[in-house]
Amino acid sequence: MWLRKLPILVLSGLLGIFPLLGGCDRQSEADLMVLHVWAHAGQEAERRVLQAQLERYNQQSDKIQLKLTFIPERDYNAQVQAAALAGDLPDVLEFDGPYLYNYIWQRHLMPLEDVLPRALLDDLLPSIVAQGSYGQHLYSVGVYDSGLGLYARKGALQKIGARIPASAADAWSIDEFNQVLRQLAARDDDQAVLDIKLNYSGEWYTYGFSPLLQSAGADLIERERYQASDGTINSPAAVSAIQQLQTWIRLGYVDPNLDDAAFTSGRVALSWVGHWEYERYRNVHKEDLLVLPLPDFGQGSRTGQGSWNWGISRHSRNSRAAAQFIEFLMQADEVLVMCDANGAVPGTKSAVQQSALYGRQGPLALFARQLMQGVSVPRPKTPAYPVITTEFQKAFQQIRSGGDAKQALDVAAQKIDQDIRDNQGYPFLQ
Amino acid sequence: MTSAGHQPGNQNARLAWLFALPALLGLLVFVLLPFVLSVILSFTNLRLGSPLPLEFMGFSQYQRIFTDQAFLAALRNNALFALIVVPLQTGLALLLALLVNQPLRGMVLFRSLFFMPVVFPLSLVAVVWILVFAPGPQGLLNQVLETITLGSWQARDFLHDPAWALPAISLTSIWQGVGFQMVILLAALQGIAHELYEAAKVDGANRWQQFVCITLPQLRNAIIFVVLVTTILAFRLFDQVQIMTQGGPNHATTTVMYEAVNSAFGSQQVARAAAMTVVFFTIVLLITLLQRAVSRHERVIE
Amino acid sequence: MNDKQRIRMLSVYLVLTALAFMFLVPVAMMLFGSFKPDDQVLLQAGRLGSLLPAEFSWFNYQDVFARVPFARYLFNSAFISFCIVAGGLLVNSLAAYAFARLQWPGRDWVLLVVVALMIIPLEAIAVPLFYEVTLLGWRDTYWVQIIPFIANAFSIYLFYSFFLSLPRELEEAARIDGAGPWRIFFRIVAPNAKPVFATVAILSFLTQWGALLWPLMVTHSEAVRPLPLGIATFYSLPPLQWGDIFAFGVMMVTPVLLIFVLFQRWFVQGVATTGVKG
Repeated sequence: MWLRKLPILVLSGLLGIFPLLGGCDRQSEADLMVLHVWAHAGQEAERRVLQAQLERYNQQSDKIQLKLTFIPERDYNAQVQAAALAGDLPDVLEFDGPYLYNYIWQRHLMPLEDVLPRALLDDLLPSIVAQGSYGQHLYSVGVYDSGLGLYARKGALQKIGARIPASAADAWSIDEFNQVLRQLAARDDDQAVLDIKLNYSGEWYTYGFSPLLQSAGADLIERERYQASDGTINSPAAVSAIQQLQTWIRLGYVDPNLDDAAFTSGRVALSWVGHWEYERYRNVHKEDLLVLPLPDFGQGSRTGQGSWNWGISRHSRNSRAAAQFIEFLMQADEVLVMCDANGAVPGTKSAVQQSALYGRQGPLALFARQLMQGVSVPRPKTPAYPVITTEFQKAFQQIRSGGDAKQALDVAAQKIDQDIRDNQGYPFLQ
Repeated sequence: MTSAGHQPGNQNARLAWLFALPALLGLLVFVLLPFVLSVILSFTNLRLGSPLPLEFMGFSQYQRIFTDQAFLAALRNNALFALIVVPLQTGLALLLALLVNQPLRGMVLFRSLFFMPVVFPLSLVAVVWILVFAPGPQGLLNQVLETITLGSWQARDFLHDPAWALPAISLTSIWQGVGFQMVILLAALQGIAHELYEAAKVDGANRWQQFVCITLPQLRNAIIFVVLVTTILAFRLFDQVQIMTQGGPNHATTTVMYEAVNSAFGSQQVARAAAMTVVFFTIVLLITLLQRAVSRHERVIE
Repeated sequence: MNDKQRIRMLSVYLVLTALAFMFLVPVAMMLFGSFKPDDQVLLQAGRLGSLLPAEFSWFNYQDVFARVPFARYLFNSAFISFCIVAGGLLVNSLAAYAFARLQWPGRDWVLLVVVALMIIPLEAIAVPLFYEVTLLGWRDTYWVQIIPFIANAFSIYLFYSFFLSLPRELEEAARIDGAGPWRIFFRIVAPNAKPVFATVAILSFLTQWGALLWPLMVTHSEAVRPLPLGIATFYSLPPLQWGDIFAFGVMMVTPVLLIFVLFQRWFVQGVATTGVKG
């Protein structure tokens, strides 16, 4: 049926027509190569650093010119997807964490192990390697990774005589955590003692709370073959872990945080959030600020990982140059410049060692250790990720409003599994 | 009706086609064709960018959406929203038009004020109203309600409360849209001949009788137009939901368009989204035809 | 004026002021918020008393210009909207005239189809349309944001309703004098249809000015990005930079507001004679 051929016709049409029409001068002159780079428009500081890095790189070489386009973060995935569909991807571009696998599966990216130096590959954080690998190859590397934990005020904890965990292995058990909440609430005017960033939306729910499931022995999807969520996302362990969270909300322990100032203003003593809040929290609480691992729901404390990562488009005509640019960005100095700007965990071991924040004695060394020791769990490495996160977010919306947790997770499982079946299990056709 | 023999029939027809061609061509290529494609796609399993071959799936997309809690909730919400917003917005617009039509000073100012929200892009309106609906006693609306009810109002998180989320969105939409309807009704009001009112006064009709027997009938066409357009727009509800509530809580505010866009771009399931939009089109078409039939019927009776 | 009339007048003013207040407050929040630093906007979101900023600061406005090429976005939006409106006025009015005044086979059926097309929102056809324009190679240009939107069923319908209501004498007189349909349209009908042209112009402008979904899908370079995409830059990681968003919003809305205030009279008059006689 001709309909079957439609995508192929469209694709070949695009690949054939597009270099002739369209606007990008991808056809390089013999003496000047233009490399198109897309990056997300993140914080002010990040963008300035990247801009500066690009300029420095351009000055280094008179053969290659990098052309950078910033895409607004909120719509980044939609724009990349649209470009991918049109066969219009730039040479080098960032991907937002686990949305990467969809593009790999759609065969838009090229493997990197052969174009990046061995030394660099060995220097990468295990979490970065885990994030960027799919099938038998490595498709992306991240300049930085993320850290997730529990910020706390030392003074408040000392007042209730709570134990202060030193590492992830030492994390509070869920019972201990509940007790801490109870005791803190007893001394608090409005009972709200915990901030879990309910004012955030979207990907935060999956990033911030799937470790909860994982710590309880459940997960978003079974990780053997990534074929089914049913029985994993809605297992009894998952349901009871999520119900813990519901209980906290129901008992009034959780601050709605609309002004995003619950922790900084001192309304709450605990804040469940990532590395990006460190600077703001530190400025307010200074020495009183503690960085703790997430509580252990039974199978050990778990935490999240993953952030923006760089990949090379399969159709790029300048893949060698692209690889060299990525290599440049991954040099320890460059990594540290970027991490100074956005406060994230450096993506290479050598950079971590030199980092004031994340090095051995640094205040955020916990985050780096979690990433290096396997305490962090990558979000599901499957092209079904957009569906998984959408469904989990929908379920979470209901759960946080007091809905039936089991039912919400059941619905999510059903939708996710149906998507996987619809796509024949996402077979990886190389 | 052709003029006295100057233009032979087919020359007239050719000319007509020339007049209409650019617009019709544009509509054909950029509206009708994609829609037909959408209909075709709704019978497949097309997924955005999938390397897997496309398959024909018959009616299974339709089966799926009609057994999907979220979609059914969306249909229900769209109906509820239309039922709330259309009468309220039209009623308020009529009230405003009547008020602003008074021969008093400063009416142009008020008219501009009421029309002002129409000028705002929906996405901006939604963002500002998120602040208005802020939860807790410091939230603007909560404060106002507390003042009005003299302290007996319990602060609510409107956008996250299943009972209040849809009314909140309705309020936002009414705020944004009523100015436009007001202008239409106002214009119609200004077109009513004064003599009718004079004659009624002479006959001894009081203000209310004048309103019911003269104003309303004269406004009939304008009101029908306004109701029709507002109904169509009510079913297209999307921007506010996406920005303010993301369809929650518990599907209390999801709409057909929201489900469709999320299916296509969030879950990448284009075929499913296509099925939803076909259902959407059919429903709205039926309602529109129904409204026109009813209004024509009434006209016949008169 | 006697007492009863005075009471009536006062109550009208009272009601109007109360209602106007409700309409104004969100706008005021946005306007005043644009002059406050970000954290203050949120903290004071609730209290009516603190609506006014403690100190007026242009910082947010400066920040918007520093962070995004606002002038470029403004130009893009203006150019795109202008092209759509101008093209639309021409193309749609011609088609509506053909429906209203010319006889041709199939006219009524085609009209029915056009009216039905009014229902289809962009979101419903966005993906197939996207495939179409990609095949045509139009991505990331001005034209892809303009051409698909020139022909508009709703505009045709408004023009059609208006033309139907025009008295035929003028046109008849011209025809008897030997004028062809083109002459009649441009010399007689159009000049007498200024109100509906104004109405359609304003409506289609408003629709296009705030359009987000389509530019999002088909453009990525800043060179052709319109305003709504520009404001998205400020929606990145929370906390949202309310101050910047509001400053952007104020600047985005003010030109349109000004245009409306200036052309108010025409607009109301135009609306009076369209759609009402339908």
